[in-house]
Amino acid sequence: MDALLDMLQGRTFWRILLFLHFVMAVGLLAAVSLQTAAVLMPVRQAAQAAGNFITRVRTAPPAWYVAAIVILYVPTFLLGAWVYIKYRTYVRIPMEQNSHWWTVGAFEFKEHIVSMGMALLPAYWFVWQEPLSEQYASMRKWLTLFLAVSVWYAFLVGHTANDFRGVGS
Amino acid sequence: MTQTLDVHERISQPGRSHTISEPASTAAAVPVAASKFGTFAFTFAIAFAILYTLLEQMNWPLFTYHPAVGKIDFWMQRPRSGEGPPMYWYGWLALSFAGAGVIGWIATLVPHRWLQRTTVFCCALAIVWSVAFIIAVAMDDRTRFDRDVVTWLAWVSAIPSFLAAAVVSYFIPLHWAQRMWTSWLLIMPIGGLAILGYSLKQYFLR
Repeated sequence: MDALLDMLQGRTFWRILLFLHFVMAVGLLAAVSLQTAAVLMPVRQAAQAAGNFITRVRTAPPAWYVAAIVILYVPTFLLGAWVYIKYRTYVRIPMEQNSHWWTVGAFEFKEHIVSMGMALLPAYWFVWQEPLSEQYASMRKWLTLFLAVSVWYAFLVGHTANDFRGVGS
Repeated sequence: MTQTLDVHERISQPGRSHTISEPASTAAAVPVAASKFGTFAFTFAIAFAILYTLLEQMNWPLFTYHPAVGKIDFWMQRPRSGEGPPMYWYGWLALSFAGAGVIGWIATLVPHRWLQRTTVFCCALAIVWSVAFIIAVAMDDRTRFDRDVVTWLAWVSAIPSFLAAAVVSYFIPLHWAQRMWTSWLLIMPIGGLAILGYSLKQYFLR
């Protein structure tokens, strides 16, 4: 039992958290990318029957992804905020010592963009409520695109930081 | 009696866009007004973007967390010897989410006409103040080495910005304010990110 507690309090614990954060981020990335594709490149119903995988993704109702995105975004954000403690003490200091200023700056911006995305989630959820209102068509598209950009940016920068000092590095 | 009540309702709720006497086109221009949650969600996002950017730029966190020693201090605390690096992000988030939540809740209680004008005022103030501050800093060479001058310029540029925002929000036609209300939802977070990104240039120009 003591050994288990020691493990959970040590480096392994943070690695498990980081891995969970990564797994959820991958799920979120998939959902937000598929929704963005469906929103930006919708296809007509006639093409659906003969379509390949890409066409089927584009014809899927974008509203399907909303619940998944909201449900995944919140815990991914919270886990990231938790893992951030380890980043600040264990990763960022050597990054600065090795003059990886671009990575430090990019990670700082990640904090900001995911926070803005988090605050936009209630409005995002609202504009995607069924029945979809024509009046929100433009706002739905732009909010989805904003979330997609924020999630992709956060994923890529987080992956870069992990490569510097994280799981498997 | 029915007519009296109807007229009274229209008079007592001048800001409601969905009263019976409103034309359909006006009601369509303010769709979020039909839902309290929509009003909350939109106001929350706009308020969060402004508050978060302001708190980060001024470095006003609700608390400071020292992860190396597991200690939390109220408000902003500078790094102390032997206590490792301080973390302010949690403090900015806590204050921004709480503040935006309260503002969003208040927004559901006030007439939409007031809400839209207040939103124009706050967003115009945020934009004009930022631009005035940037211009003031660029024009004064002392800001390169004197941080007190920067702080002083920030407060001085607030006065004309406040007046300009008041004039804009007073004279802007109501239908413009209504149309713009949903647009602030994207303008403010993107504008905030532009300011926050610019302030990180020290990392990218080394």
